[in-house]
Amino acid sequence: MLDVRARKRFLKNRGAVVGAALVVLLVLFAIFGPLVATHDPLQSDFQYGITGDLTPSGPNARFLFGADRLYRDEFVRLAFGARLSLFIALFATLIASVLGAVVGIVSGYYEGTDGIRLPWASLGSFGGALVLLVLGHVRPAEAALCLGLGLLAITALVPSLPVVVRRGPRLNLDTALMRVVDIGLAFPFLLLVMAIGAALDRTTATTILVTLGLTGWLGAARVMRAKTLQVRNLDFVAAARALGQSTPSILLRHILPNVAGPLIVIATISVAQMVVAEAVLSYLGVGMSPPTPTWGHMLFEGQDYYLAAPWLLIAPGAAILLAVFGFNLLGEGLRDALDPQTD
Amino acid sequence: MRSTRRQISATGRLVGVLTALALLGLAACREPLEPPIGAAHPGETTPRRGGKLRLASIGDLRGALDPATSAEALGRGAIEIMFAGLVDYDEAAHVVPDLASRWELSDDGLSYRFFLREGARFHDGEEVTADDVRRSIERALHPSTPNPWASLYDMIAGYDEYTQKGAAHLAGVVVEGRYVVSIHLHDKDARFLPVLALPTLRPVCKSAGERYSDSWAPCGAGPFRLEAGGWDHGRSLTLVRHEGYFRPGLPYLDAVQWTYGMNMMTERFKLEAGDLDIVRDISQADVVRFQTDQRWNPLSVFEPVRSIYGESMNTEMPPFDNVEVRRAVAAAINREHYREVRPSAVTISNQAIPPAVPGYDPTFRGQEYDYPAALEHMRKAGYPYDPATGRGGYPGEITYYAYRPGLQEYTAQLLQQDLAKIGLQLTIKLVSFPTFVALAYRRKTTQISNPGWTEDYPDPSDFFDPLFDSSAINEDQSQNSAFYRNPRLDEILARARHELDETRRFALYGEANRIVCDDAPWAFTHNYRFYIVHQGYVRDYRAHPVWPENVGKTWLDRAADAVSSTSPGAAASWASLTGALSRPSGRRASH
Repeated sequence: MLDVRARKRFLKNRGAVVGAALVVLLVLFAIFGPLVATHDPLQSDFQYGITGDLTPSGPNARFLFGADRLYRDEFVRLAFGARLSLFIALFATLIASVLGAVVGIVSGYYEGTDGIRLPWASLGSFGGALVLLVLGHVRPAEAALCLGLGLLAITALVPSLPVVVRRGPRLNLDTALMRVVDIGLAFPFLLLVMAIGAALDRTTATTILVTLGLTGWLGAARVMRAKTLQVRNLDFVAAARALGQSTPSILLRHILPNVAGPLIVIATISVAQMVVAEAVLSYLGVGMSPPTPTWGHMLFEGQDYYLAAPWLLIAPGAAILLAVFGFNLLGEGLRDALDPQTD
Repeated sequence: MRSTRRQISATGRLVGVLTALALLGLAACREPLEPPIGAAHPGETTPRRGGKLRLASIGDLRGALDPATSAEALGRGAIEIMFAGLVDYDEAAHVVPDLASRWELSDDGLSYRFFLREGARFHDGEEVTADDVRRSIERALHPSTPNPWASLYDMIAGYDEYTQKGAAHLAGVVVEGRYVVSIHLHDKDARFLPVLALPTLRPVCKSAGERYSDSWAPCGAGPFRLEAGGWDHGRSLTLVRHEGYFRPGLPYLDAVQWTYGMNMMTERFKLEAGDLDIVRDISQADVVRFQTDQRWNPLSVFEPVRSIYGESMNTEMPPFDNVEVRRAVAAAINREHYREVRPSAVTISNQAIPPAVPGYDPTFRGQEYDYPAALEHMRKAGYPYDPATGRGGYPGEITYYAYRPGLQEYTAQLLQQDLAKIGLQLTIKLVSFPTFVALAYRRKTTQISNPGWTEDYPDPSDFFDPLFDSSAINEDQSQNSAFYRNPRLDEILARARHELDETRRFALYGEANRIVCDDAPWAFTHNYRFYIVHQGYVRDYRAHPVWPENVGKTWLDRAADAVSSTSPGAAASWASLTGALSRPSGRRASH
C-alpha cells in the first residue's frame, strides 16, 4: 500500500508513529484485555468491589482500574468496551467508505454528462405522491410514487416511445447524488445518527454500526468526487475509454486505484469520528442498552462519582481521548506520507 | 517544512490531551467542606424571633399557589405554611386539630362536627368562620375547579350530585353556627380525616370568591403570607410572617425565602458560603461528604421514608401470570445490593407500607432474599433451574424497560444479575421517561418494570387502594401496574376503609400486606429518602413525614456579624461561587 518513499516519509513523522503506536496498543488491548480478564464484565462483585464506606474499590491488584458503581471490574469492562468500540467504528467506517467511494466516484465520473431524462408525467406523479402524503393518504401516495418510478423506468428502457411521453427535464446522476449528499450534510451528524437510529430501534452493535455507516459516508463522497474529477480527464483514462473498456471496468481498474490514497486517509480519521459518535450515543442513553460495557456509557455512569471514585471518569475518558488521538494522528500521518508533494 | 509543522502541532495536541487528563484528575481531588456556621447561643433553648430562612430548589414553581389546584411537590411546602386547615398532621403523621380546636364524630361514624377556634384570622384580617370553611370546600370541589385531588373526597355526602349533577351546594357540608361546621359522609370512611389534613380543602380568604380563578392573589390563615411582589415567577418566592396567626408567638421567623432553579452544586456552594440556611437537593457524592464530615453530620437529617419502589410484575402476562415465578423473583432479589447502588439515599424495602406511614410494622418480615427458596419456587412454577450447569429456567426472553435519569438503569442491571441466577433472562431497554410511563402502565404491554409510589397522604390506604385493588386496573395509565386482581384483598381493603377503630384497621392492612407480599404482584425492593443539611444556627428544624419543609416552629440563632447581607442575585451568586472556590480564610468575617 505504501511504497518505499511513502513509508520513509511516514516513519520520519513522529506524530504518525505515535498515532500508529496508540492504535496498535488499542488493538492489542481490545484483543488480549478480555482474554486476561479474571472477572466477568457484567457481574457485580459485592465482596471485593466495595469498600467499607460503601463506595467502589479503587485501583488495586484485584481490580486494576478499580470497581465501577455497580462494583464490576472497570478494567475488564474497558477492555470489552474497546473491543466493541473498535468493532463498531471499523465496520461503520467500512460501510461509510464503500458507500462514499461508490457515490463519489460514480458522481465524479458522470459530472457534466447529459444524464437521463425525467418525463413530466413521472415528475407529476412524484408531485402528486408528495401532496397525497402531506394530506395523510399514505396508500394512494405509494401508488403515485410507484406510477412515477414505473414511467421513469419505461421511458429509460424503451427509446421508441413517442417524444410527447418522454419529454421532460434532464437529470444528471452527479446532480442527483450530490443533492442527496447536500441534504445529508445539512443535518448535524449526531442528529442524523439519532434519527436513523430511532427508525432502526438501535439496541445491538449491528444496528448501531449500520446506523453510523449509513450516516458517515457523505464527506467521503464529496472528496472522492473531487478526486475523480481530476483523474477522469487524465490520458490513461481517455485511452482506456478509446480502447473500448466498459465503464465499470474503467471505474474499478483505473479510477479507484488513483483515488484510494485520500480514501484511506479519510477512513482512518473516520474511525476516530465513529469512536466518538458511538461514545456520544451511549453517553446520551440512545446507544446500546445496559449492561453492555461501552466507553460512553461507562463515562456516563462514572460522572456522578467524579469525587468519590475519579477513576470511573478518567479510565473511559482517557480511552476515548487516546483512541481518537491515535486514529487522527495516524490518518494525518498517512495523508502526509501518501502525498508526493511532501518530498 | 509541512511535515515539521505537523509534528509540532501533534506534540502540542498530545500535551493538550495530557493536560486535560491532569485537570480531570485535579478536579477529582477531594476538597474538604467549609465548616457550618454555628449557633450564636448554643446553650439557649428559648426561641428567638426574627430572621429570614433561605431555602433553594433545583425545580421551579409553575402552578398557582392555590390549595385547591396545586399538584406540585415543590409548592406543597409553601402552601402548607400559607393555609391552615381544620386539621393537620403532627410529626408522627397523625391527624391533629389545627384551625378546628376539636372535632366530634357521631355514633354512626358518618358525621364529623368541627369546632373552629374563635378569633383565627385570615391574612387579610377577616375572621375565619364556618361559612368560609364551607365556601372553600365547595370552591375546591366544584367541577369547574381543575382540582387533581377532588376524587379523594368522594366520601362526602352529596359529592356526586355536586360534581356531576349540577347541585348548587355540597349537601354534606353544613354550617351549624359561626364557629361550627359539620361534614357528613355517605358511608363510614377511615380515610376522611387523613385526606382532610391535605391542603386541598383548606379555608381561603373571601377574596378567593365562590369559584376558582387563577388570577386570585393567594390568601389563607396559615403562619406565613404572600406579600405583593413576593413571588418573582421563575426565580424566588418570599413569604412573610402573618402577625394575626392564631397560635400566639408563632411563627418565629420573619420570612421564608425559596430560590428556584438553582443547580445542586450551586446550592452546596451557597450553603458552604453561608448564603443558604437549609439544602435538600444534594448529590450522592456530596451526601457522602456531608455524612463523613464531623462538623456537618450532626446538622443533617434524613427525611422519613414515604415512598416505595418495587419490581411490578404483570400478572396477566407470562411468565408472571404464574404466582410461583413472582414468588421466585421476590425471593431472588438481594435488596442489600440495591441499597449499595446509592447507600446515602436508598433503604431496603420488603413490604407495601413505607416506614413514615402509620400502620407500618417494622417487625413484619415481608419479602426477603432467600436464594434456595427462589430456586424451589422456579421448580414449582415448572421452570426448574440448575445453577451448576445453567440449564433450565424460563425459555422466553423478558423485556425490561428502564428510564434515565435515575436509579433504574442501575437497579435494572442488578435485577438482571439476580434473575439470571434463577433462570430468568432479562433484556434491558433504556427508554425516555415519557415512553416508560406510556408502556409500564398499559395493559398487556410490559412484563416487568420498577415503578415507585410516593404517599399523597400518610395512610396505608394510599398505597394499597391505587396499587393493588382491582378497581384501580385500567386499560391505559393503570395505577395497578401489575394488573393484580384478588377478590379477597379487595374485600379486606373495603373493610379497612370502613373500619374506624385504628387497631382493627391496621390489623386489616397487616393482613393485606401479608397477602400482597405472598402473592407478589410487586417484589418490593427499596425506598428513597431525602437528605437535608442545615446551618448550625437553624434551630428546631425537624424533618416531617408529610411536609417537605417543616419550618412552623423553626427559629434562627445567628450572630449579628454572621448574618449574610447578600440578597439573591447574579453578583451575590458569583461572589459566593468565587468565594467558595478560592476558599479565603477569613470568609465568615467578610459577611
